[in-house]
Amino acid sequence: MESKHSEMTRLTPVKIVIAGGFGVGKTTFVGAISEIEPLRSEAIITEVSDGVDELWDSSQKITTTVAMDFGRISLKHDLVLYLFGTPGQDRFHFMWNELARGAIGAVVLVDTRHIEACFAAVDFFERKGTPFVVAVNTFHGRRLHGSEQVRQALQVAPQVPIIYCDARVRVDVQRVLAAVVEHALHRATSNLKVG
Amino acid sequence: MSIWDPQPRIGGRIVRPYTMTGGRTSQGEAPIALEALVAATAEGMRRRDSFRWESAEIIHRSRTATAVIELAALMEVPIGVVKVLAADLRDSGAVTVTDPPEVLTTEGDGYTELLRKVLDGIEAL
Repeated sequence: MESKHSEMTRLTPVKIVIAGGFGVGKTTFVGAISEIEPLRSEAIITEVSDGVDELWDSSQKITTTVAMDFGRISLKHDLVLYLFGTPGQDRFHFMWNELARGAIGAVVLVDTRHIEACFAAVDFFERKGTPFVVAVNTFHGRRLHGSEQVRQALQVAPQVPIIYCDARVRVDVQRVLAAVVEHALHRATSNLKVG
Repeated sequence: MSIWDPQPRIGGRIVRPYTMTGGRTSQGEAPIALEALVAATAEGMRRRDSFRWESAEIIHRSRTATAVIELAALMEVPIGVVKVLAADLRDSGAVTVTDPPEVLTTEGDGYTELLRKVLDGIEAL
């Protein structure tokens, strides 16, 4: 705005979080629609360990790194949508706070053969009040379980959309992302704050 | 994780990461989001050579607006380091930092309007 260069037009960043268990296809999902190859960033985390060795201070701090994969999509209206894959390991759930802050919403990607792997993500977004949809990755088009079975297994509210997708297929991913925004919109306009 | 593990390799060098930031780990008053867009200003580009390597690299790579997380990935430095350096560069006028709209957190006025734009953008892909 203060510059005459067109690339200096103020872009607005927004994000959607892609969560789910390890190996469920989060990076595949991001890569199917991202305009860049999914990239990996690292954050350094300071953990407080239990004092095992008494020679050490019992609140010994240990630094470790957490990796996050992400992709980017330029949208019209000068918007840039970032897709963040959550770190897979359960011990890094506290990183999710930063990921969820200011997110439009989230996708909980599910492999119905390992449905328990996404419980933590569902719990987290429910607690945070982040709008989310459940996307069942069909892996080669196979629907192993019906959506009501999935809903029962996850115990998610009736208004939480459950969508089938192939995480490798761009239009499927596009449809899931649209569903996240629609769900957030629906929630905002109907004043539902659950799911 | 053992406390004897070596420090992570950063950008092909072995350094203690926050050495680059003079040991600082916070970004002042306003925390910078992972997706915040960093864009070099004309002044920043002019003064680029007066900054240390990491900061000069941020200015160079943000000639077109680039997110904090993207800078971290491309430069192979931890996200927190980029946040601290980007905040310094912002304070010195070398870059602008555009955070995501606050309305996404507050869900206040303009929230649904923004969501409709995003939805329109996704559907138009």
